[in-house]
Amino acid sequence: MNSIIIDGMAFSLPLFIIAIGGIYSEGSGITNLALEGFLGFGAFCGGLAVALFGGSMPQGTSMYLAFAMAALGGMVFAMLHALLCIHFKADQVISGVVMNVLSAALTAFLANQINASVFGKASNKFMLEVSPRFTVPGLSRIPVLGGFFTSVYPFEVLIILVALVMSYVLYRTPVGMRIRSSGDNPQAVDAAGGNVARIRFGAVMTSGALAGLGGMCFAYSISTNFSPSIYAGFGYLSIAAMIFGNWRILPTFFACILFGFARSGGYYLVTKLELPSSYSDLVLTLPYVTTLVLLIFFSRSNRAPRALGEIYDKGKR
Amino acid sequence: MPESSEAIVRLEHITKRFPKIVANDDISLSIRKGEIFALLGENGAGKSTLMSVLFGLYEPDEGRIFIRGNEERIHSPAEASALNIGMVHQHFKLVLNQSVTENIILGKEPVKRRFGLFSPIDMKGAREDVRRLSERYGLDVDPDAIISDLPVSARQRVEILKMLYRDAEILIFDEPTAVLTPQEIESLLGVIRSLRDGGKTIILITHKLDEVKQVADRCGILCRGKLAGVYDVANITTKEMASLMVGYDFETTLVKDSRPMGAESLSVEHLSYVDDDGVKRVDDVSFTVREGEILAVAGVAGNGQVEVADMVAGLLSPTSGAIRFKGQDITDLGIRDRIERGISYIPEDRQEVGLLLDFDLGTNLSLKRYYQSPYCTHGVLHREAFVKTGDALISQYDIRSSQGCATRVRSMSGGNQQKAIVAREISMGSSLMIFVQPTRGLDIGAIKTIHERIVAQRDEGKAVLLVSLELDEIMELADTIAVMYNGRIQTVQSASGLSANQVGEYMMGVHHEAQK
Amino acid sequence: MKRRSDGPKRVMVALLGTGKRQNIQTALFCIVLSLLAGSVLLLLLGKNPLLAYKSILQGAGFFPKARYAGHRSMLTDFMSLLNYTTPMVFASLSVAVALRCGLFNICVSGMMVASGFVASVLLGYSSFSPAVARPLVVLVGLLVGGGIGAVIGWLKYRYNTNEVVVAIMCNYIISYVVSFFIQTRYIDPTTRQSLKIGQNARLTLFDQVVGDLKMEIPLVLPLAIVCVLLLSFLFSRARLGFELKAVGMNRKASRYAGIAVGKTMVTSMVISGALAGLAGVSYYLGCFASIQPKVLPSLGFDAIAVALLGNSNPWGCFFASLLVMTISNGTTYMASTLGVLREIASLITGILLLFSACGAYLKGLADRYAEELEEQRILAVKEGGQQ
Repeated sequence: MNSIIIDGMAFSLPLFIIAIGGIYSEGSGITNLALEGFLGFGAFCGGLAVALFGGSMPQGTSMYLAFAMAALGGMVFAMLHALLCIHFKADQVISGVVMNVLSAALTAFLANQINASVFGKASNKFMLEVSPRFTVPGLSRIPVLGGFFTSVYPFEVLIILVALVMSYVLYRTPVGMRIRSSGDNPQAVDAAGGNVARIRFGAVMTSGALAGLGGMCFAYSISTNFSPSIYAGFGYLSIAAMIFGNWRILPTFFACILFGFARSGGYYLVTKLELPSSYSDLVLTLPYVTTLVLLIFFSRSNRAPRALGEIYDKGKR
Repeated sequence: MPESSEAIVRLEHITKRFPKIVANDDISLSIRKGEIFALLGENGAGKSTLMSVLFGLYEPDEGRIFIRGNEERIHSPAEASALNIGMVHQHFKLVLNQSVTENIILGKEPVKRRFGLFSPIDMKGAREDVRRLSERYGLDVDPDAIISDLPVSARQRVEILKMLYRDAEILIFDEPTAVLTPQEIESLLGVIRSLRDGGKTIILITHKLDEVKQVADRCGILCRGKLAGVYDVANITTKEMASLMVGYDFETTLVKDSRPMGAESLSVEHLSYVDDDGVKRVDDVSFTVREGEILAVAGVAGNGQVEVADMVAGLLSPTSGAIRFKGQDITDLGIRDRIERGISYIPEDRQEVGLLLDFDLGTNLSLKRYYQSPYCTHGVLHREAFVKTGDALISQYDIRSSQGCATRVRSMSGGNQQKAIVAREISMGSSLMIFVQPTRGLDIGAIKTIHERIVAQRDEGKAVLLVSLELDEIMELADTIAVMYNGRIQTVQSASGLSANQVGEYMMGVHHEAQK
Repeated sequence: MKRRSDGPKRVMVALLGTGKRQNIQTALFCIVLSLLAGSVLLLLLGKNPLLAYKSILQGAGFFPKARYAGHRSMLTDFMSLLNYTTPMVFASLSVAVALRCGLFNICVSGMMVASGFVASVLLGYSSFSPAVARPLVVLVGLLVGGGIGAVIGWLKYRYNTNEVVVAIMCNYIISYVVSFFIQTRYIDPTTRQSLKIGQNARLTLFDQVVGDLKMEIPLVLPLAIVCVLLLSFLFSRARLGFELKAVGMNRKASRYAGIAVGKTMVTSMVISGALAGLAGVSYYLGCFASIQPKVLPSLGFDAIAVALLGNSNPWGCFFASLLVMTISNGTTYMASTLGVLREIASLITGILLLFSACGAYLKGLADRYAEELEEQRILAVKEGGQQ
């Protein structure tokens, strides 16, 4: 029973931080299907940093370097999407898909190339250190709820802290208010003296950083390496969570919890019922099926930001 | 009258060109501190452009601007704001999902402590400031109301407060009364007067001559991009103003004789419509239109008239009620079936709904019959048929297009696009014609032509349902007037028994309950 | 009076073209830009770009290689290219049809896997004669793909779901479910893929002896060309094509004109799905003879690049498919002769996609510059006349 909570949280929280990135970007009016590509590129950068410098760092610290590099890498890659959508006025859905294809191709190529030239081995993966997990004494003994304090990855705490900060910025500061306004009526922001292009650019870069961080966390928790299999559709899952959450942070959190627990619950079922491992494939469809079903029932009532996906042309009055 | 006659704004030789037109042609004028200055002109004369130059939305190609005696180059609204210039736009620039206070402080948010990016907004202080300002100038708003819940007149007050929050001294109003009822207009003019008494300078962009007479000190008249002259309002009549605005003397009266009306064509019975947000937009509406009759539906924008028209045309499904056409129930009939039975519809939004902008003119002129022979046989379209019909309509209705039937409609002017829609809908020979805002944004010549065609259709025995926001248009064309307010019919009467003022009162809901 | 900024503007207009030729010229421009970017990349790796591109063309069968293995020649390489291009043509047409109607079909990969799997199970392991099995395989492809398309289209119409997210969910669900069935029932333990299908159901004649050579003959390539012709006709002359385009441009106006928008959208997804199904069977029961579980073919996503490059025009898609597959097939040879990684193929394709996405911007830019230059010319003539 505990394992459902433990594995569920380990999946939900990275998904959540990626979804917050989506909320920033789409909240400012830029459709962002590129989260998948951002998380992959971030994980690549973090993995590369560990591969290059991890050996010379004290034990347990390379993880934090990885997170920092992942966020930075995701942010830089996101600038491409921002450039395409804001300055080149490309169709934002197409740009998002392009980012994903490009990210997969680029990281695959670079991973192979760097492994070959720098490390002299034929591999498309970067190995990471196994992440330590800690258990809070006392609190973890509480029945049922204790599971939330057992076997916790450090990145889960990191994500919660970052999420709190991002939520505060979005809802309580001038920057956040301008981001949210740009998604509803960029003309209003323009007339009020704000620079819509700059606000949106910053929002997309933020989404890249958060997605990169989330991707790195996935890399640590799922396979302890960076490899092409990091592109498993989690970026799209986080978009779905954002849609259910009506582009607001708290409801999105609950949607992510739902997805994470659907997945861990499925695995639990497979072990409990002692089915052969090939059944895990069926189980892995659970988050996606849940998304599909919920999308069907909730798409009618969703409140997307009014200016989402529209190309903002300053010349039009 | 203003105490000092120093010029607070002086424009010298301002010229602004756009790719196909010279919007402002060598305009020089000055505005005195503390006066109410009206900028007059018909649609497309250049008034909005000139003020956009002053407000920093455009930069002039030639000319200089002087504010308080100093030459300034205004590159953006932020710079204009820094010079204490504010503008209430015709299309409000409000963020619908946020509150009144949040909209007012956007761009100039007060913060509690300085933490760089992380400084929290001082919402309490902001609310207080908003309350103070609204009391001082008589602009009644609830600081915490969400904009999407507010009616248009309240939203306009928020726009004004936005300017005042930034200490605007020079206030520009762009066609502020276009969306208000006569009573709300009175209230707004009162606010404008009290702002002027508070020391502000007001620039009013408008084409409503009686309002200029009521409230302005001086007026500048623009005609086709040039300045016709600046006059003291007290010394010029509305007829003179109108002539200067159009550049020639013109007749405003339309010849319309009364005709006997025929059988009942359209009957709308207890029609109601509840939208996706659960708001009842149309509430138990009933009326009939007979052959040879023009029934005009008057009302302030957003009171359900367009929804009624959409329901009759089939674009919206009524929540309850029935629609009968020529005696038959068409409530559940699809759009194409209604077209085939003889219903034409000129929609409110000509670009988004009435035309396929990226197709050519020939296709658009036969947009509703492309699937019928001779345009289409066995699933294959025949270009020649489109061209034949298109050429005929182009010459008949004088539609200006650069390449005839092959012109991409997007590149045509608004007026010619509207002519194309009118041509198409009338040439279908339908017995019921629904026109929504058929002359919006057109110049006086085009308006006159379209009015004449509408009357001609009615003379031929067609039933016409006209929905318009222009009271003048309604008074001129209607045989019968129905007024809608808050989704309900307030009255349905013969036009000869109603004055414009009475219609205005019904539009405001003053006389409650319609007779059945 | 000529201004300094004229030069670059003229160049842009000349390169990108105006009017009808603009689409082809802009596409060529994007291709050249991508090849240049690729060249830079190759130079950084210490390789000669010209040699690299030549070896790509050699690998694809446009130029002769130095040596050939037994029974192989430039022709066999070229036939191999055509073989792999066929599924790409179907897939890019699939994306193009949906795009024309304003819809994004990202489920092409999933549709391919689903149709490939169903066809394998029903016919690939059967013992029908080739004359019966092969046409049925095509039919299965059409039906399975079209069916999935109908579901996605209907969901979009009825519930206003975001068709991109729905499609991606379907991709993964199909991938995992098919993987499950393969692992439990149809697994080949040595290859870790599904069991090989019989030659009777295979849409490509493999190792077909023609004279002295052994080559691959894609049997459905003529069908692909027929599809290109049919779609071309559909969009230029047919009523359905007009309705698809209208709905793609403006749903409200289409509804106003009396077009049944929902039906049209579903129809476009059905056609798109059917084409994706054809891509699936020509891929899994043609180019290959088995399915690798849990792998979504990148072809489905590269098809988006191809459709963009071809500007959603049927013939544009055909030639763009040929180009992209040339790069894809040719880089294997380049990898072996020059020692460059195979992965560079998808990277160059990705860059091509990037530039194609800017296509609308580039066209708008060219139009704007052309207009400005024209205005200046008119003004100059006026000034010249007044002097």
